[in-house]
Amino acid sequence: MNDTSNARRKVAIICSHGGLDEAYPALILANAARQSDIDAFVFFTFWGLDVITEGKVDHLHVNLAGNPTSPMPTIVAGLPGMESLAASMMKKQMEDLELPSAREMLQIIDEAGAELYACELAMKMFKRTKAELLPQVKDVITAGDFYDLADGAQIIFT
Amino acid sequence: MNSDTTQLALLDRIDALQTQVAYLVERQRKQEELLAEMTPILREALGVATVRLDALEKQGWFAFGRELGEIAHKVVAHYSPDDVRQLGDATIAILDTVRALTQPAVLHIAAQAGGVLQKADSVEPVGMFGLMRASGDHDVQKGMAVMLELLRHVGRGAQALAQSQDPAALRKARLAAALGPKRRPLVAAPSAPKVQPAGCATGPSAPAPAAMVVNGVAFAADGHLADPTVWTRELAEKLAVSLGLQLDDVRWQLVDAARADWGQTGQSPNIRRLTQVTGVATKDIYALFPKAPGRTICKVAGIPKPAGCL
Repeated sequence: MNDTSNARRKVAIICSHGGLDEAYPALILANAARQSDIDAFVFFTFWGLDVITEGKVDHLHVNLAGNPTSPMPTIVAGLPGMESLAASMMKKQMEDLELPSAREMLQIIDEAGAELYACELAMKMFKRTKAELLPQVKDVITAGDFYDLADGAQIIFT
Repeated sequence: MNSDTTQLALLDRIDALQTQVAYLVERQRKQEELLAEMTPILREALGVATVRLDALEKQGWFAFGRELGEIAHKVVAHYSPDDVRQLGDATIAILDTVRALTQPAVLHIAAQAGGVLQKADSVEPVGMFGLMRASGDHDVQKGMAVMLELLRHVGRGAQALAQSQDPAALRKARLAAALGPKRRPLVAAPSAPKVQPAGCATGPSAPAPAAMVVNGVAFAADGHLADPTVWTRELAEKLAVSLGLQLDDVRWQLVDAARADWGQTGQSPNIRRLTQVTGVATKDIYALFPKAPGRTICKVAGIPKPAGCL
């Protein structure tokens, strides 16, 4: 613990996918960074916007079709209902592991001091307003702004 | 005198030669007669033979023979004598299989299946739903049951095969048996030390190896107390000061809760667990212990660092 204020570690995490399985790595990495006294910035873009959208965060899905590591063959995974079945199964497993929900994870990492940002361009593309986003989102910024904020940080793309 | 005897000897030899020549001429004449007699017969025989061989050629016998030779060549090139020996060992099994497969009932099923395959053109294409509908059919269900049973046996067989030695190892073993016992290596290979899986918090009874000793207190390499049992409240105060903290009531509440939870579960609690057992908000925990609160609290509480990602 001999780090000084001018040599702080930083991570900039870019979350570009909105699947349940795709959101958690970004959220867990951000949380772990804060737990290890590393500054964390998370930039939600494209489908990642769903993770910080009020009406979507509790309904993130798991994409099994076309996923080579999913236990289900693509032809079955594409059937109606399979995808939500998989999502609910994964949520159940997460509950059993006492993993917080995505909404709760966002609250935790916000309270832990990680900064959450939404991508301006993606917001325009999806016609989403700041009012639709979760209160934990600090701002809607451009990619360039994000680079300025995360100056000197290690960048993680998920 | 001398020339006379030489002349006599020469005459003798010429005589002998003459008789021999006469014999040869006679033989030649007989052979010519024989040939003259045989020629029509041979011509006939040759004609017949040519026609026969041509017929065989046309039927593909020679091509077949050549190909057979090729196959034999390939087999010889492909299989080692060991493989052939194993084939010999397996002959009984092969014959058993053939007998089982050629039982009239089995052949009947195979013939029926073959009939269906021949009429494959006239079958309607089936989609996903067709497949589901067909699964309600009694015959299809029975067929699926048979196929599943077959698969089960194939799976079992594959497993057994994987467990048994592979041919290379078998050959090696045979070689080793032929060559006698292997020489023992001069230095015994060191056995891998038993490592506890990282990230798994060990129970209270497993102190970490001490990496440094400060004022008579041993610490692990990660800065946590090496032996949690030597912890006292005075030591906690000192540890907190060394980390730049003063322990007030809420901080003590968190440290005590962490230590109590570790005593109960054998695992150091993470921040989330601390918020659950104490009711202190995540935000406040980070405010009270700004640098890596989970680890700091556990350090002050004299317990190992928390495991897990949350």
